[in-house]
Amino acid sequence: MMDSLYIAWKYLSFSKARTATLVACVTLIAVLPLALQLLLAESERQLLSRAESTPLLLGAPGSALDLVMNGLYFDDEVPELISMAAVDAVAASGLATPIPLYVRFKARRFPIVGTTLDYFDFRGLTVTAGRQLALLGECVVGAEVAERLGITAGDSLLSSPETVFDLAGVYPLNMKVAGVLARSHTPDDLAVFVDIKTAWVVQGLVHGHQDVTRTQDAGVIIEQTDDNVIANARLVEYTEINPGNIDSFHFHGTPDDYPLSAVITVPRDEKSATILRGRYLDGDSGYQLVVPGTVIDGLLANIFRIKHMLDAVILVVAVATGLALVLVFALSIRLRQREIQTVFRIGGSRLTIARLLAAEITLIVLVSGVLCAIALLLVHQYSDELVRTLVIR
Amino acid sequence: MTYRSLAWIAAISLLLMGSFVMAEEKPVIYTVNYPLQYFAQRIAGEQADVTLPVPAGIDPAFWQPDAGTVIAFQQADLVLLNGAGYAKWVSRVSLPRRKLVDTSAGYRDRYLQAEEAVTHSHGREGGHSHSGVAFTTWLDFTLAVEQARAIAAALSRLRPAAKDVFERNFSVLEQDLLALDSQVREIVAVDPDNSLLASHPVYQYFKRRYGLNLTSVMWEPDVAPEAAQWSELRQLLKLHPSNWMVWEGNPNPESVTGLRGLGVDSLVFDPCGNRPVDGDFLSVMQQNVQNLKRAF
Amino acid sequence: MIEIDALEFSYPDAGFHLRIPGFSMAAREKVAVIGPSGSGKTTLLNLVAGILVPRQGRVHCAGTEVSVLADAARRDFRISTIGFVFQDFELLDYLNVLDNILHPYRITRALQLTAEVRDRAGSLAEQLGIGDKLKRGVEQLSQGEKQRVAICRALLPGPQLVLADEATGNLDPRNKGHILELLFETVASHEATLLAVTHDHELLPQFDRVVDFNDFRVGAA
Repeated sequence: MMDSLYIAWKYLSFSKARTATLVACVTLIAVLPLALQLLLAESERQLLSRAESTPLLLGAPGSALDLVMNGLYFDDEVPELISMAAVDAVAASGLATPIPLYVRFKARRFPIVGTTLDYFDFRGLTVTAGRQLALLGECVVGAEVAERLGITAGDSLLSSPETVFDLAGVYPLNMKVAGVLARSHTPDDLAVFVDIKTAWVVQGLVHGHQDVTRTQDAGVIIEQTDDNVIANARLVEYTEINPGNIDSFHFHGTPDDYPLSAVITVPRDEKSATILRGRYLDGDSGYQLVVPGTVIDGLLANIFRIKHMLDAVILVVAVATGLALVLVFALSIRLRQREIQTVFRIGGSRLTIARLLAAEITLIVLVSGVLCAIALLLVHQYSDELVRTLVIR
Repeated sequence: MTYRSLAWIAAISLLLMGSFVMAEEKPVIYTVNYPLQYFAQRIAGEQADVTLPVPAGIDPAFWQPDAGTVIAFQQADLVLLNGAGYAKWVSRVSLPRRKLVDTSAGYRDRYLQAEEAVTHSHGREGGHSHSGVAFTTWLDFTLAVEQARAIAAALSRLRPAAKDVFERNFSVLEQDLLALDSQVREIVAVDPDNSLLASHPVYQYFKRRYGLNLTSVMWEPDVAPEAAQWSELRQLLKLHPSNWMVWEGNPNPESVTGLRGLGVDSLVFDPCGNRPVDGDFLSVMQQNVQNLKRAF
Repeated sequence: MIEIDALEFSYPDAGFHLRIPGFSMAAREKVAVIGPSGSGKTTLLNLVAGILVPRQGRVHCAGTEVSVLADAARRDFRISTIGFVFQDFELLDYLNVLDNILHPYRITRALQLTAEVRDRAGSLAEQLGIGDKLKRGVEQLSQGEKQRVAICRALLPGPQLVLADEATGNLDPRNKGHILELLFETVASHEATLLAVTHDHELLPQFDRVVDFNDFRVGAA
C-alpha cells in the first residue's frame, strides 16, 4: 500500500491543477456544512447566553429585535429613543433596578455604550488595567478594543462624528481611557463604555465652554437679557474634559428628557417582573418591556429555519459534486488507459489499478481532511468575531 | 464521630461565622456635606463609618473631587447627596445609582430658585442651561428633619437588623432639630417685619420657613467690600432699610466698622456646610440661634 | 527457451486469426521477428508473455507451460521471467527516471524493492549511460535516453526472456544501432534471451536468427 501511495502521490503532485481542483471541491463540500454548524452553535451560544442573562429590556415601542440587538449586542441599528424619565419610573416602582443604556455613537468604529456603574456589576465586568470610570469624559474599553487599537489606561480615544457631515456641529470628544476591562467573551469586549452623562457630552447635550454670562467677548453673544444669555455658534466648546474645565460642563434643558436607547431592567424577583411586565403591556405606556430570551429564541428559530434550507441546498450540491468527482475519476481512468495497459503488461493486475486509484482517493480525502480541519479550526478560533460580524451586525 | 471530624466541623463553623461577621462589617457611608455627615453619624451611631472627604476650609458645594476620591465614593455602601443641585460635581462623575440617596428628593416640589442665577442658551432655539436651584435646604430645620428621615430609611434598608437603633437615634435627632425650629420661630415671632440683610444668597429656605424679611448682597466675609459694593448697599438700604447684616462666617473688621457707620450691625448665622473648627452641627446652630436673637 | 506447438489464436469479433505450426528458440538466442503490419507479431509477444491465451496449441516458455496457467500464475510468471521493451517506451511522465525504473517493484508484490535493488538500478543505469539522469523527469529526456530507461526497467528484475516490441522504431538511424547494441550487451550480460519484433531490416544482420511472419498463415478465419 505504501508503494501505491507513493505512486499516487507522484501522480497527484504531477497533475497539480487537477489535484488542486479535486481537493478544493472535496474540502469545500465538507467545510461548508460543518463551518455553518459551528457558526450557528456559536451564534446560539453568544446570543442565548447574553439574552438569558438579561432579564428585561425597556425601550420605545417598535421592533423588539432591534431593541434587543442594540441593547445587548450593541448593533449599529439604533432603536427609537426613550428618555431618562423611563429610568426614574422603573426606579420609583421599587420593583426593579434600572440600568440605562445609550448605544448610539462610535469611537473608531467601536460602539460607545453610555450607562451607569451598575452595568459593570450586573455583567460582572472587572477592570484589569487602570481604574473604573470616575470623572466626566472618561471611558473604559473592552479587552478587544484595547488590543485592536493598542490603547491602555491613560491613553485617549476620540469619539467619531455620527455622520461625515455632522450638521449639528457636534465636536468629537477626546475621551480619557481610565481602564481596560477583563475579557468576557461577550460583546462587552468590543465596546467603549462611558458614563451616560459622558454619552450626552458626545452628543453635545452636555457641554463645556467659557462662561458666557461673564464673558467680555461680545462676538459670541446674540442677545443678553437679565436672566439669560443667548450664545451663537462661534462659541468654542471644549473637546476634552480636564480638571481645568470640568467645572464648566453643564446640562441644557431638563435631564429627565435626556435620551436613552434602552433600560436594562433587573427585577427584584419573579413577582416584580410579572407586575412590571403587566404595567408596560399597556399600549399607551409609550414603552415596550421585552424579555430578551424570548426575542432571541424567535430569531434563532428563524436562523435555524434558514439553516435547514441551506443544509438541503448543500446536500444537493454535495451529491452533484460527488457525481462530478466520479466523472473526473472515470475520465482520468480513460485518459490513463495506456498507462494501465503498460501496468498490465509489466505484471500488474486489476487490483493494482484499483489500489492506485484508492490511494489517490485516500490522499485527496486526507489532504482535504487536513485542510477542512484547519479551516474549521480557523472558523472556531474566529467564530466569536465571525458571529459578531456576520450574524449580529 | 472522631475528634478529627469534630475539629473539622469546628473549623468550618468558625470560617462560616467569620464570613458572616465579614459580611456584617460596618457599612461605609460617604456624604457630600457636613450636615448630612452629622445626621448620618447621629442616626448610625457606632453602626457605620461616615465620611466627608472634603478638606476643611473648603465649601463642599463648590468642591471638585479628584478621580481617586470619586473611586472612594463608588466603593462606599451608601452615598448621601443633598439634592437640590447641591455639589455640581456629582453630575460630572460616575457614581453607582443604586448606592445614591438623594436626601431631599422627598420635597423636590418645594425647591426654591436661586435668585441671582443667569442662564444661557445656544442659539434662539436652544434650551436654557440649568438655572440654579437654591441648595442650603437644611437651614429650614423641618426640611433637615426630612433629610435625616431619608438617611434613617436608607440605613435601615442597608442594615435591616439595626432598624430599631436607627429609628431611635433619628427620633432624638428630630427632637433636636425641631427644638431649633421652634426657637427660631419664637425669635422671629417677636418682630416678623424686622428687616435683615444677608451677606450672601444662601438663606432662601431659612427665609421661607421663618417668614423673614431678608435681602441678599454678594459679599464675602473675609474680603473687604469694594467701593462699588458700598454704593450698591447704600442704594439698597434706601429701598430696604435694615439694622442687621447676617453673615455666613465671621466678617472682617473693616466690613463690620463700615456697616456700623451705616447703622447696620453684624451677626453670624453659619450654614455649617463643612465641619466647624469647634463643636458640631447642633452647637453651631444653637450659637446661630443665639446670634439671631440679637437682631430681634 | 521457447517452444510453440500448433498454436491458434484469434481475437473475438476482430476477424484476426493467427496460426503458428511450430516455433522454438534456444536460451540466450537473439531472434528478430519481421513481417507486415497486422501480421500478428505483437500478438506473438503477448502470447509468449502470457498476456494472451491461445485458443489451441501450447506455449512453453522457460520451462513453464504458459498456456495452461491461471490468471494470477501467468502474472507471476510474467513478472519473474519476462522483461518488456516497447516502441513508445511507455514511461510514466509523472515519475522521474529512477521511479520509472523501479516501477515494476512498486506495482507487484512478487518483487521486493530492497536497497540491493536500488543499488543494482543505479549500476544498470550507469551501464546504460543514464546514471546521471536518475532524478530527471522523463519529459526532459531525448528519445534514445527514454528507451535506455525502458531497457533498464525491463532488465532490472533479471528476466530470462526480454521481449522487445519495435524497440528502435521511434529512434533516429544513428540511435537505432546504438540502442540495439546496448540492448544486446545488456541482454548478454544478464544471460537473457531476446525476442525482438522489428521493421528495421538494416539491423537484422546483427541478430542470431530472423523469423519472417510471412511464413505463418495469417488472415481471415
